[in-house]
Amino acid sequence: MKLLMIDDDTGLCELLSEYLTAQGYQVECVHDGEQGLKQALSQEYALILLDVMLPKLDGFEVLKQLRQTKLTPVIMLTAKGEDFDRIFGLELGADDYIPKPFNHRELLARVKAITRRIEHITSLGNSTANKLSVNNIVINLAAREAYVDEHPLSLTGTEYEVLALLVKSAGEVVSKEQISEQVLGRRLASFDRSIDMHVSNIRKKIAEFNITERIKTMRGTGYVFIQGE
Amino acid sequence: MSLSKASNKANLKWLIHPKKFLFFKIFVWFWLTVIGTIASLVFLSNIATNQVSNEKLRGPMQKNLEYTAKSIERSVTRHKKSVRDILSHPRLAKRKLLYLNSDQPELSLSSQVPPNEVDLSLLNFTKSMEPQVIFTEHYQAFGPIKVNVPEGLFYLYEINVNHQTPFFIRLKLMPIWLKILIALLASLALSFVFSRSLIAPINSLKQAAIALANGDLSARAKIDPQREDELGVLGRDFNSMAIQLERLLSAQKRLLADISHELRSPLTRLKMATGLAQMQTPEENQTYLLRIEKEANQLDKMIADVLQVSRLEAKSQALSLHKQSIEVIVEHVLNDAQFEANQSAKQLIVNGQLNAELNCDEALIASALENVLRNAIKYAEHTIHLTLQQSDAIYIEISDDGPGVAPENLTKLCEPFFRQSDARDRTSGGTGLGLAIAKNAIIAHNGSLTLHNHQQGGLCVQIVLPLDKH
Repeated sequence: MKLLMIDDDTGLCELLSEYLTAQGYQVECVHDGEQGLKQALSQEYALILLDVMLPKLDGFEVLKQLRQTKLTPVIMLTAKGEDFDRIFGLELGADDYIPKPFNHRELLARVKAITRRIEHITSLGNSTANKLSVNNIVINLAAREAYVDEHPLSLTGTEYEVLALLVKSAGEVVSKEQISEQVLGRRLASFDRSIDMHVSNIRKKIAEFNITERIKTMRGTGYVFIQGE
Repeated sequence: MSLSKASNKANLKWLIHPKKFLFFKIFVWFWLTVIGTIASLVFLSNIATNQVSNEKLRGPMQKNLEYTAKSIERSVTRHKKSVRDILSHPRLAKRKLLYLNSDQPELSLSSQVPPNEVDLSLLNFTKSMEPQVIFTEHYQAFGPIKVNVPEGLFYLYEINVNHQTPFFIRLKLMPIWLKILIALLASLALSFVFSRSLIAPINSLKQAAIALANGDLSARAKIDPQREDELGVLGRDFNSMAIQLERLLSAQKRLLADISHELRSPLTRLKMATGLAQMQTPEENQTYLLRIEKEANQLDKMIADVLQVSRLEAKSQALSLHKQSIEVIVEHVLNDAQFEANQSAKQLIVNGQLNAELNCDEALIASALENVLRNAIKYAEHTIHLTLQQSDAIYIEISDDGPGVAPENLTKLCEPFFRQSDARDRTSGGTGLGLAIAKNAIIAHNGSLTLHNHQQGGLCVQIVLPLDKH
């Protein structure tokens, strides 16, 4: 499985690629934003690890331009404690973030959580026509696509997973802890807003085609996908 | 928000406490001075004047009048007619109103019957004068010229009823109450403009200083660049000070961000390398690597804490405010704290309950409570009391039954890196920044954090958080 790492810290890139190679991944490293964006657009990667502070083109700009054409999963590497960075990254369509300096086990867990889905598709193949349909939303589990009134939604991997999870348990409250553990592969940290950001992105994308509110916020507990009218 | 509210209030304050406002003082003193000057002037001029004003008669008008007087004298002697007849002769009477004043009032004559409002007796006092132009409220008189006829001595005046009195004379003849009113209004307007021009730059300086103190580094005093007096210089100096301050603080902020980035990069590599080493090292040699990992984590936490304290102290921490139930936050913190207390075989007792929505940075409030609680758990002998109360504000009290703090150290406890024992032992763990973060976080929410020793010994921390008023 091929990963792309965009970080100007060459020392870290070396260590990380050695570590991830040992875990069975193939890692390519680029050290500036411009080069990184070119690489990310021209090739297919299972995951991109993207630093925020980059020469030439910063991480947010790379993400913004990448998202205009591609939905490759992205994990942002941010400085710890910068609340603004995280929220902004998630708004732009990052799948997750991990604060620097990170623990190697934690990083591996996140990488696995996101790449696992891709393994999941390949194992499923295109043979089984596995579809979920609630109200006007259709989830094609085999193709990992979602449709609103027949319009395809351009969701990032994480957004798709969150929506699929909500639709699968339509009518039931899904807690933020559940979403975080099942989709991001990690425990929900205190006052973590990333699930809210992903849900808000999904809502915006659905609203482009249909303004009926489908995902309801249950204060303090989680979210519920409304079944029936 | 609070700033503009405060200035709104300040706009009306001068009405209630005029003595506290320089503007008012200057304005009143200047006004009183102007009024005083005008009043004394009016008073002095009033002694001299009455309803009559005059100036010397010169030129053709005087010649003309003298000629009329001569011709009256001549006609009386030549035609043996009485003065009354000559005066009522149409040639004279039609043209103008002539008035012959005699020392005996009943003998005074005029060529026509003067209009009602014309009071010719006013001229009695001017008989001894040189020929004059005499202004009264309703007419203008020229004279006197002596007319010597057998009937006696007369004083000739020519009266001009329709004449518009000149502006200054009219001003002089205005009723006294009007004069005072005009003087009052004029001086009021003048004093106001004068004191405003003095006070406006001071107010602008004051507002800029308040804004600066509240962390708005882009605040500048609005001073007219053309202004060259002391206030203009002061304003410009203040602004250059503010520019300097902004530059220094932004440089410091940048330095902090750079330090955090620069320190964290090697720390990230260190952690990564440790991870790699852990993968390749046999089980029995792992302890040292675990130790390295633990120390790296401690270093990481210290960097984060130092950054948070300096950001909070510089008030540059942009609070990300959300409506959040304080109950949820407290519950969240208590879960961990209960666990920690149990781990160290101490008891955490909670009294009271909160149920309010607070517009706050929940992570900051939680970290403040966490730090105080952790501190209490660390120093408590057996029990920690947490008391929650709610009325117009939220009151949280956390007390332990530990040794307490020497009174002289109470205020220093919230300073970064302050430790009670001089040995600076780190066996107790923590970064020495917990209470500093807590205090700054609470202050950032307009609350207060105070420390005192319990009577039975042990430290008591009181946190007050104001509730938003709707």
